[in-house]
Amino acid sequence: MSHGHSNPIEHPEVQMASRGSYLTGFIIASLLMLAATILVSGQVLAPFPLLLTIMGCAGLAAIAQIYFLLHIDISEHNIWNTVALVMFIPLFVITIGLTWWMFSQLYLRTMPMIPGMPGMH
Amino acid sequence: MLVNVPGPWSPLLGRLALSEIPYTNPILAPLFVVIVLAGIALVAAITYYGKWGYLWKEWFTTVDHKKLGVMYIILGLVMLFRGFIDGLMMRTQQMLAVGPGDNGMKAMGAIHGYLTPFHFGQIYSAHGLIMILLAATPLLVGIMNIIVPLQIGARDMAYPYLNALGLWITAAAVFLIMISLFVGDFSHNGWFGYAPIFELAYSPGVGVDYWIWTLELVALGTTLGSINFLATVVKMRAPGMTWSRLPIFTWSAVSANIIALTSFPCLQVALALVGADRYLGTHFFTAGFGGNLMLYTNLFWLWGHPEVYFVILPAFGMISEIIPAFSEKPIFGYTAMVLATFAIAGVSWIVWLHHFFTMGMGPYVSTEFSIATMLVGIPTGVKVFNWAATMYKGRLTFSAAMLWAIGALFLLLIGGLTGMMLSIPAVNYMVHNSVFVVAHFHMMLLCIVYAVFGAVIFWFPKVFGFKLNEAWGKIMFWLFSAGTFLVFFPMFMLGFMGETRRLDWPFDPHWAVWFDVQEIGIVVYVLSVLAFLWMIYVSIRDRAHHRVGADAWGTSRSLEWLTDSPVPFYNYAMVPHINARDEAAWRREHGFSQSRPDHFAAIHMPNNTGVAVYIGALTFVIGFGLTWRIWWLTVAALILTVLIMIYRSGKGDPGYVISAEEMEKLDRESRQNMSDGQQHLPKGGGYTGGTVTAYSAAASDQRPQGTPPGNSRPLS
Ligand code: HEM
Ligand SMILES: [Cu+2]
Repeated sequence: MSHGHSNPIEHPEVQMASRGSYLTGFIIASLLMLAATILVSGQVLAPFPLLLTIMGCAGLAAIAQIYFLLHIDISEHNIWNTVALVMFIPLFVITIGLTWWMFSQLYLRTMPMIPGMPGMH
Repeated sequence: MLVNVPGPWSPLLGRLALSEIPYTNPILAPLFVVIVLAGIALVAAITYYGKWGYLWKEWFTTVDHKKLGVMYIILGLVMLFRGFIDGLMMRTQQMLAVGPGDNGMKAMGAIHGYLTPFHFGQIYSAHGLIMILLAATPLLVGIMNIIVPLQIGARDMAYPYLNALGLWITAAAVFLIMISLFVGDFSHNGWFGYAPIFELAYSPGVGVDYWIWTLELVALGTTLGSINFLATVVKMRAPGMTWSRLPIFTWSAVSANIIALTSFPCLQVALALVGADRYLGTHFFTAGFGGNLMLYTNLFWLWGHPEVYFVILPAFGMISEIIPAFSEKPIFGYTAMVLATFAIAGVSWIVWLHHFFTMGMGPYVSTEFSIATMLVGIPTGVKVFNWAATMYKGRLTFSAAMLWAIGALFLLLIGGLTGMMLSIPAVNYMVHNSVFVVAHFHMMLLCIVYAVFGAVIFWFPKVFGFKLNEAWGKIMFWLFSAGTFLVFFPMFMLGFMGETRRLDWPFDPHWAVWFDVQEIGIVVYVLSVLAFLWMIYVSIRDRAHHRVGADAWGTSRSLEWLTDSPVPFYNYAMVPHINARDEAAWRREHGFSQSRPDHFAAIHMPNNTGVAVYIGALTFVIGFGLTWRIWWLTVAALILTVLIMIYRSGKGDPGYVISAEEMEKLDRESRQNMSDGQQHLPKGGGYTGGTVTAYSAAASDQRPQGTPPGNSRPLS
């Protein structure tokens, strides 16, 4: 609460925020979600390609949200955002990667195979 | 709606109906009457003494981190008591119900013991959730709230209003789970929930909904808090408080809140998906339609294991502050300590799978997670050795706080070693879901409770200006330890004897004797609760005799002991300049402990606000409305919340300024007040000498005004 701090409106992260970028982020994320929903509910693709496609959609949505909504990028003016991004990558690999590995091993042992998955019969 | 709820539903009241109030239940109905009477008495008393204005102005609308912290701690203690009563009921049920045959109390409708399985299930579910998220977490957040800004020389948290919001949202969660006692019922599928039994088809009541929304609220409150803590430590440190001078407790708060910030969203997502299943009819965790039961378990523990470290790391931090103060030595291996803290935090992210080895994902995955789990033992071991080395050749004072800290170390040892056993998949297959696991994590969680009691005794004089009664603190410690021993060691035995967890009817007569021992332990715990209450009463009654100066213990080390006790609302009259890692000890040893600021400057403080209370109340309404599916109420409360938030954001808080002259006056009064309370005390310490530390670089003849703990008055 120290007094006479610079105007918060002038902070770089506030400066970066604009109505346009929030709207773009929101629209892109919504469209991707809509696309995924239509693909799944209409069963447009075979199960395994479907899985890959909606994962792709999710990945793109995540990137759009990080960039447009959270304004996290690798530019210099905002060191803490870069730190947050660097934190994010290992956590992403750990949570998604290890979960994937775990489930693939589990499915090998317990589940009927998803049709169309390569390397399985 | 998208799903058909079984049973009646009306647009106005949702699923709520008079029949949902269990007024025929022989336990709940009298309890309800007692609580209502107590509530009326409390309200009447506050009205009679005209304290509403005071409470509203000084407490409910405050944004002062110390007062918010105190309220967090009170909330946590109340819930600790509620959780304890749940524990008492479970222990009594198992003691009564053990053995074959028909030993139930027919009057209560029970076939075994005195509780029906349905009721027993709700008790253990509520117990777990309450103890971990509504007792331990608020206690720790409360202590961090009070101490972290003081330790870094800040005037408040980075976002004082957000801080209040976190408290009131947590309070909303508490109210939600408490009201589930009397309106409807609570979930019965354990504190972490099992798929698919929490699906609407198998749990048609409102219990699971209460569980979802209570967890969602407390997760929201804690996430907001963690953002605030991180911003505070990053941005608000006093000049000279470099990262390498940060007190260990603050370091542990940083690491814990990184964990909280990154893991609580996982919980929120997992529960939102459960909510989608129950409210929208999706199939994330159902057995059919593409759902995946194990995905829930995976997502839950993805948060669940980091969460257990979120609660233990601040406890480690507290131990790291208490032990040096009562060993009269700086902490041994500061850098190693900080690195170990972050190593634990890092590893906590890659071990969650050890909670479901038995799921069957095969040797490769199990091996990885087994090894990762065991890795946690290395930094934990580093910490334990550091604490031991701190005590080695120190000048030990076995004050009540120190006893609690040392007790915590013993529990950590037992909990950690049994954890190591559990992390071996081969062993885990034998004891998973037995009460051996329950005993393991109770050792760990009690380690936290010990550290919290130690911290409360240690920092109480800083916040309130007088010490708690030492003798009763020690009596409570020994009673509590006896209770712990009697309840949880038999539990390890029972685990080896094959008792699975959560049995409303333990059928094997061989277990009976251990249940009896545990029941005795519970009685001893009850005595320790009484000792606690008596300690509080005696300490407040005799507070005039236990007033303290800035450095309450005479041997304290970190920055918070430089400011007056009780801490004035502005924390430091002038923001201190930090010269060393243990600033208070450094100033004492260099003869600066009596020095005061030579000039004052105007300071800027935030205003009180009622907005946080309103939003907290509204989140409670949202949770209640969602639980009972009263859509109009939920939507109305949600819209109102958003409107209030927009209003508050637009208005902002200009805060207010205290001029330099006024600061000087306030500082003089605070000093005066503190030294008035000191008149009766001899100057200089008691038998510890209180000042000259065995390891001080330059002992000074400046005597601080602390009293050594041994000097407190005898039992009364
Ligand atoms: C040395 C560190 C630790 C190790 C190696 C360890 C290991 C384990 C393992 C392997 C389990 C799974 C047992 C099973 O369900 O079969 C477990 C359960 C548990 N541990 Fe730990 N643990 C450690 C520290 C902690 C700490 C610090 C806490 C909390 C403060 C904690 C709380 C819990 C809880 C709550 C559960 C069980 C939750 C449940 O099933 O309801 N553990 N631990
Ligand atoms: Cu774990």
